[in-house]
Amino acid sequence: MSEHAVEVNNLTKVFRTGIGNQYVVAVDNLSFRVEAGEVYGLIGPNGSGKSTTMKVVLGLMAASKGEAKVFGLDSGDIRARSEIGFLPENPYFYKHLTGAETLKFYGKLCGIRGKKLKARVAELLEIVGLEDAARRRLGGYSKGMLQRIGLAQSLVQNPRLVILDEPTAGVDPVGSREIRDLILRLKEEGYTVFLCSHLLEQVQEVCDRVGIIFEGRMRREGKLEELIKIEKQTAMTLENASPELLAKIEGLVASEEGAAIVETGHPRTTLERLFIQIAERRSKEKASAEKKEEAS
Amino acid sequence: MSDEAITPRAPGKKIPIFSVTRVWTIAMSTVTQLVRMKTFYFLLAFALLLLVVGNVSFASSPAQALSTLKKVSFGAIDLFAWLFAIVATALLIPRDIEDRTLYTILSKPVRRGEYLLGKLAGVLVVIGVSLAVMFVICSIMIIWKQVGYMADEQAGGGRKEDIAASLALIAKNGFRIELAAAAYASFLKAAVVAAVTILLSTFASSSLFTIIISILVFLVGHAHSMATDYWLRVTDNSMAVLMVLKIFKIVIPNFQLFSFSEGIVTGAALAPGVLWQMTWLTAGYLVVFIFISLIAFVDKEF
Repeated sequence: MSEHAVEVNNLTKVFRTGIGNQYVVAVDNLSFRVEAGEVYGLIGPNGSGKSTTMKVVLGLMAASKGEAKVFGLDSGDIRARSEIGFLPENPYFYKHLTGAETLKFYGKLCGIRGKKLKARVAELLEIVGLEDAARRRLGGYSKGMLQRIGLAQSLVQNPRLVILDEPTAGVDPVGSREIRDLILRLKEEGYTVFLCSHLLEQVQEVCDRVGIIFEGRMRREGKLEELIKIEKQTAMTLENASPELLAKIEGLVASEEGAAIVETGHPRTTLERLFIQIAERRSKEKASAEKKEEAS
Repeated sequence: MSDEAITPRAPGKKIPIFSVTRVWTIAMSTVTQLVRMKTFYFLLAFALLLLVVGNVSFASSPAQALSTLKKVSFGAIDLFAWLFAIVATALLIPRDIEDRTLYTILSKPVRRGEYLLGKLAGVLVVIGVSLAVMFVICSIMIIWKQVGYMADEQAGGGRKEDIAASLALIAKNGFRIELAAAAYASFLKAAVVAAVTILLSTFASSSLFTIIISILVFLVGHAHSMATDYWLRVTDNSMAVLMVLKIFKIVIPNFQLFSFSEGIVTGAALAPGVLWQMTWLTAGYLVVFIFISLIAFVDKEF
């Protein structure tokens, strides 16, 4: 039997509001599992219960009913937290600390000391590309840099599970893609990633399985491929196809009973990809111009 | 971002029930935070205050001038200690909650009690260091003025007996090592105030509320015996009243007990064993308040 990284069984969370018997059900009988080594995305609109579920999994909140387990341990058990690395939405770390000091602080909290800690801090700063900003205080960091130092702190004790709450919220497309690439690398390295987001395109690019939560309840859950494929349709992208070939294909389709071409046209890149291409091209041009200048 | 390997570790690490190093890590981070908030600028203001009081004095005699200098310096030390204890403690925990820094700390293998103790210890380290520095500054100032006054007295001439009497009076109002006990009393009082504030900030919704209620508790704590005496006089002394009074005596610390420091500053002798008694009393208050804070904080949801 495979070990579940996260196991949420019949979780219900009720918040009392005001005085008396007024209450709000934030999470309603929610059950799902995150398998070890996969990237699981919990998606839903704001106020759907994603963050509440995450807080229960992190042990920051207690369940009103049901349970949450992390690698078989109750989420309230402190041992479960040494298995978790957490990046909250819009993380605010101590502004008075530098990037390196922040990682050292969290490393020490996880019991890492001395040379091992120093090496781990240097390693993480390199992984998230913040070596040059290591000695700058977080007060002067941009949103994207804060998100990256947040990711680094979540990995400081080499946890088996990384929980990310809206990991690219407010980050520009380039930074967002870097974070996405890092999530994919985490998966390759064997980490389990559990992320909450309402940015559907981002979830689609990185997640193996997805749960759609709405008004505290799981509405759909499954492998991403299965959830998004349209069973009755097939897409085919051709390159250098002549008008004659296209006409032949259209004829063939027309001759088959029940078959029809739903859409034809030229595939388009996304605005995001276009933006990244331009940004990358520009930085390459700048680098080569600087090299030429140095050479001359 | 680099291509360095980031492999997760093997499972099964044991977590100790209580870790002094985790408490110390949080304490040192709190110290860094308070230091980088330019807290120690207060010391500069304190040094300036002493320079002004030491040099612009309207006292009629050197002994009176020294006495004023001591009262002002130790009054400032005491004020700094309790006010700083309230404000710093009241700001730290709510800010961590507001900024969600607490999420990242408590999602690491850190117990909530360790977090609270770390914050309290950090505040006390800063107060302790500040008081030590203030005490040194104040001692240097008093000794410097005392030596100057004594030299003036000797140079002024007159009968030997008169000079000896004046010198004795100056010495009595000058520096005494017992003054360190007065600074220590301020530290103990600040520790209790900080523990009360920690307790309040575990369930208060804002820093302002915590600060106001802490100051209120501090003021009521200075009228402790007066309040209980009055209460016993105007009520029927029933079982219920006595119970309420007992709770009042526990919940509101008796800050009057720390007032022995005022006597030391004005020249009174330090009763033997009083420092030990006060240290144990403070430790008792800290245990009670931290224990109640823990009960409130352990189940708190963020």
